[in-house]
Amino acid sequence: MSDSSAGRRIRPRDPGQGQQRGSGSREAMLAQAFVRLADTLASDFDIVDFLHGLSEDSVEILRAGAAGVMLADGRGGLRLIASSDERMRLLELFELQGAQGPCLDAFSSGRAVQASAADSRARWPVFAPHASDAGFRFMCAVPLRVRTSVIGALNLFRGSDEPFTGAEMEIAQAMAEMAAIGLIQERALRERNLLTEQLQAALSSRVVIEQAKGMLAEYLTMTVDDAFTLLRTYARDHNGKLSDVASDVVDRKIPSAALARRPGRQS
Amino acid sequence: MREDQRRARIMAAVTAPDTTAGAGELVHRLCRFAVDEMALSGCAVVLMAGAGSASVLVGAGPHARTVTGLQMELGEGPCLHAYASGIPVLLPDLAADPANRWPAFAAAALAAGVHAEFSLPLTVGPGGIGTFDLCRDRPGMLSDDHLADALVAADIARDAVLYQPYAAGGPCMAELLATVGADRIVIHQATGMIAAQLDETVANALARLRAAAFASGRSIYDLAQDVVERRVRFDE
Repeated sequence: MSDSSAGRRIRPRDPGQGQQRGSGSREAMLAQAFVRLADTLASDFDIVDFLHGLSEDSVEILRAGAAGVMLADGRGGLRLIASSDERMRLLELFELQGAQGPCLDAFSSGRAVQASAADSRARWPVFAPHASDAGFRFMCAVPLRVRTSVIGALNLFRGSDEPFTGAEMEIAQAMAEMAAIGLIQERALRERNLLTEQLQAALSSRVVIEQAKGMLAEYLTMTVDDAFTLLRTYARDHNGKLSDVASDVVDRKIPSAALARRPGRQS
Repeated sequence: MREDQRRARIMAAVTAPDTTAGAGELVHRLCRFAVDEMALSGCAVVLMAGAGSASVLVGAGPHARTVTGLQMELGEGPCLHAYASGIPVLLPDLAADPANRWPAFAAAALAAGVHAEFSLPLTVGPGGIGTFDLCRDRPGMLSDDHLADALVAADIARDAVLYQPYAAGGPCMAELLATVGADRIVIHQATGMIAAQLDETVANALARLRAAAFASGRSIYDLAQDVVERRVRFDE
């Protein structure tokens, strides 16, 4: 599928449609959603796009009015990453601003949370009125969790007069966990690639620095130690990295004579 | 044996008796473990970033550095191939036909007493950071069990190099990494000098240095030392 938005099947949501769908249809949607949630190791992976997919899929499969995803920011806080619509985005921002709400509770406890409008007024007095104003009567949140580590939470809101069932909460939790596993795998891959690049750069920069020392020593008839001093001085004077300067010397992009001159020093 | 059981067994062997050993000590013990367990004459963790930079991180056994050293001298060989392709190279008998992919290497390795060489890439995603090399002073294939152990040991070594450079205890990996390739410094410096003398690229200069060492039957290190100390020039 080349068009990812087509792949996400964003259809207009007709309130009656969910009831008419057979159970096979929901299973099929769930199966497709799980395939998308597992697909995190592609080279063009985009975390925002991925979590938008999760919020859209969960809205459709769980017949919610809106959904949003928050991720841990690494400093103990949460950050809003994706939401199924603008109304949801504002609501979640209120949740973060007031430092209370289902998403924060699911994140801090690592457990699923659900509440009716009445429950929510008691639990989250600052946040609840915003949810009511937006027309939501039921809300739930599940942690994005892999074993003991919680990396975020998925928030679901429903405007109709039906609470989320136990089975629906289980589906939401399974989707959130699947997303968490995918994200953690993607992070591990990214970290590994970065470490590999750093190691390779360190190894090859040592080679090129020695080559540049030898080249300068020959061109300028000096010892390799003096050549190294020239390289370092030039790199410092030009705010360049030693390995970059060495590489340019070896490729003759910097003529060796240029290193013998000291700019900025008036004698 | 399942791979996780194999991994647990090897980890137990290399972390005993003191579990506080640093990652540097751990990879060293992996090489010693392989030498003892598989009756090798040499085993080494070789790091590379391109063909010119293959260097032994740690090794064990009398032939620990032989194979990598020969490849540096000759510019060809199984570790360079394993690194570049990401596929293990298994040469149970260097005197036999398959070894003829690298005729100069095979002849030099046999002369140095290496008869079998197995090079396993340390792969990371589509690329790699080097190889886990095993060699023997007599021909013969590794048993399936030993090959499976070697593949797991290679993974452990790769993870130790990548993830634990600053792990506490013992000789730390960062210190070890800082010394990698120190024995090659003279070759790289000579390469730079020859490139200047001939107005050539460093790749061609290294090829000239290798060819001159090979033709004269001298070690590339000795010849490079002569170049750096200005006893030998390439433009005369």
